[in-house]
Amino acid sequence: MSDLNNNTSNIIAIVSHEFKTPLTAISSAVDLIAAKLHIDNYMDPFYKKNMSKITTEIFKLNNMLDEILTMSNIISNSIEIKKELTDVQEVLNDLKAHYFTDRKDARTFKIKVSGTHNKIYVDKKQLSTIFSNLINNALKFSNKKMPAVELKYEEQALIIAIEDDGIGIPPQDLPYLFQPFYRGSNVNNIEGTGLGLHIVKNFVTANNGTITVQSEQNKGTIFILKFAYTGL
Amino acid sequence: MSNTILLIEDKPGLLDTVQNLLELHDYKVITATNGKEGIELAKSHHPDLVISDIYMPVLNGYQLLEQFQLDETLCKIPVIILSAKTGEEEVNLAYQKGAAGYLTKPFLFTSLHEQIKKLLI
Repeated sequence: MSDLNNNTSNIIAIVSHEFKTPLTAISSAVDLIAAKLHIDNYMDPFYKKNMSKITTEIFKLNNMLDEILTMSNIISNSIEIKKELTDVQEVLNDLKAHYFTDRKDARTFKIKVSGTHNKIYVDKKQLSTIFSNLINNALKFSNKKMPAVELKYEEQALIIAIEDDGIGIPPQDLPYLFQPFYRGSNVNNIEGTGLGLHIVKNFVTANNGTITVQSEQNKGTIFILKFAYTGL
Repeated sequence: MSNTILLIEDKPGLLDTVQNLLELHDYKVITATNGKEGIELAKSHHPDLVISDIYMPVLNGYQLLEQFQLDETLCKIPVIILSAKTGEEEVNLAYQKGAAGYLTKPFLFTSLHEQIKKLLI
């Protein structure tokens, strides 16, 4: 790793950490104002809507900081991989229970399973980041059905398909999808940094997996991951 | 009778806001700006719960947890850690050293309040 990459990565880590202090102070101040308005019976739908907007944006900014920090760690090769035999269904159930419970439209995701259950040898935390990014995208770029995560336990490998019925990806964007900061030409005002899929691709590769994508505009997208059981 | 919470945070702006939030929810709050001051206050005031940052001058949150575990009276007081560090290692280390809860910054007060209520039952 070059000194330049190392220094840049350290600066990003420090900046990212330091930004969280004012973000926390802002979000706590919003919480405090909301609590006071409630207690004094001044809270109305206008205040509620706009204060909730501030909080949402603070947490979006916080996610961006986390993504930039992860990216910087990937570039400087300072991410430690801790592979272990992992139960994928357990990782998905955990995500479902803890991270996809407070959407306004109440959608989460479905899990379908076929074949004989088997564990894969991966970094559990990175696998969780992979799923969290792909499922978040599936929810973000669709608005009707619940996205589905299908686990197919085949003889040699586990195939995982994450499918949505969303806006799809234009064919001309597909070759660039995993590049950092690249965003599909049809995403319009849907927020994002363009870093999520780059992180996903890096983590999948680092865990000896593969990722492919099939998509049709206005019909939906399927990301297919493959992890062989013999990754030891 | 309201519960007493010891809040330890070295950033004055955040300390003041979280103190106000806790007081609005009927907790009695005492504050410290580093771990050393926090331990002294805990020994003299016997709070029902402690909320502490990790990275602070003089004595940090991990050292505070260690000191709490070594003291017969303090080891019974639950400590919730509030930190900007999201890494699994940092979270696990805090729990290994005796933390009763861990919340990453920024946080929603409702999440903090949920943890407080669970620990004060």
